[in-house]
Amino acid sequence: MYRLLEFIIRFKEFIALVTLTIVAMVLMTFGNISQLGGFRSIVVGGIGWMQTAFSWIPNPLALKNENAALRELNLQLSDERAKIRQAIVENDKLRKMLEFKKEHDKKLITSDIIGKTTTEVRNFATINRGENEGIQVGMPVVTDAGLVGLIVGTSTNFSVVRLLINRESRLAGKVQRTRIDGILVWDGDEALSMKNIPKSFDIQVGDEVLTSNYSNRFPANIRIGTVSETRDDGIALFRKVIVKPSVNFTTLEQVFVIKQLPDNERFNLEKDSSQRGIPIIKSLKKTK
Amino acid sequence: MADYAEQSIAQTWYNLRFVIYGIIALLLSVVHVVFLNLVSVGGITPDLLIILVVWIAIREGQFIGILAGFGCGLLFDIVSLDVLGTNALAKTFAGFAAGYFFKEKNNELTLGSLKFIIAVIICAFIHNIIYFFFYLRPTEINFSGFFFRYGIASTLYTTVAALFPMLVKSRNTETR
Repeated sequence: MYRLLEFIIRFKEFIALVTLTIVAMVLMTFGNISQLGGFRSIVVGGIGWMQTAFSWIPNPLALKNENAALRELNLQLSDERAKIRQAIVENDKLRKMLEFKKEHDKKLITSDIIGKTTTEVRNFATINRGENEGIQVGMPVVTDAGLVGLIVGTSTNFSVVRLLINRESRLAGKVQRTRIDGILVWDGDEALSMKNIPKSFDIQVGDEVLTSNYSNRFPANIRIGTVSETRDDGIALFRKVIVKPSVNFTTLEQVFVIKQLPDNERFNLEKDSSQRGIPIIKSLKKTK
Repeated sequence: MADYAEQSIAQTWYNLRFVIYGIIALLLSVVHVVFLNLVSVGGITPDLLIILVVWIAIREGQFIGILAGFGCGLLFDIVSLDVLGTNALAKTFAGFAAGYFFKEKNNELTLGSLKFIIAVIICAFIHNIIYFFFYLRPTEINFSGFFFRYGIASTLYTTVAALFPMLVKSRNTETR
């Protein structure tokens, strides 16, 4: 016993290092922040409150970027305005002709960004709307330019948005022109990438990428970005498509939260099917 | 009598130092999340908590440095909504490395000298390697490219930020 104590005292630094490494590894494996429950809400609320209190401090770099982005946007909008007018007239005519049901717009909650962390790998934003306005974890966030991210934390009056440029981001997208689908992930820079796209597929620089119908998290047909580059994936048959997000994350000020949650029925069915994938395939074979 | 009172106050502060470290860690975490965007250069910010961990390790020793690293990292994981455990692990190792700069009789001198800066560079480097390795593990992002872009730059920026407490400490030590 004395020897054991002596050993522990002698190597206490190494024992502490090993123990805490194990604890940290366990936390990384199982300890999702959402499991902190109410504590998380307090953190989101506290940080949100502080960010509101100090939101008057100007950020010259962000203002400069914002000005440049707004000038660019202004030019684009004036060009698009004319096109949209024409398209609306045309669309109305076609709808009447085909007797399409008018799509009900999803309910949007307008909110301001009161704090933003777009440093290194922690890309989150805090907005000044929370559970009081009906915001829940899992709701998508957009701007007029396109998809911004997903609500990952809420408190009574604030919510945290995980931006698209985040390692957790993984979303189903499709190329608008050719309807080619793929999974978009953050490439570690300011863009998203779509991997394992066969070289024979028709994707060109400048193609618009939208959210796909396959996504359960995001409504379909929200603009994600534009194809800025295509690269060989290392594998002869495939290539990597780089998509530049249509939203400028450094100049975000106002966003809209779409009051829509993932369809649990669909999620459970897909999860169940993927878990029981092998028996299903077996039963299909038997049927044949 | 006055000397006794002064000594007593000093002793009380000394006994409360761990509580003070905790409060400073909490403040720095909040500052990091709320204000550090204002001083970010190309998306890079200094890691103030590493400076604190190195400071504690040099002042209190390796064992306390390890515990402080874990505590500060966990606190920051919670406040920044980061993946729980990543900062805790990286800062634990940073505290461990910083412990090698601990010299019981010279710790105050070390804090006010270039040794402190060297300790910060080494610890920030180790921290960033571990942090980015575990952070990028589930992704397909290239580690080396990402680390050279963010890890090295963050280490340098943290080192620059560490000059301020070092210079203040150096001046205070000279005044005494």
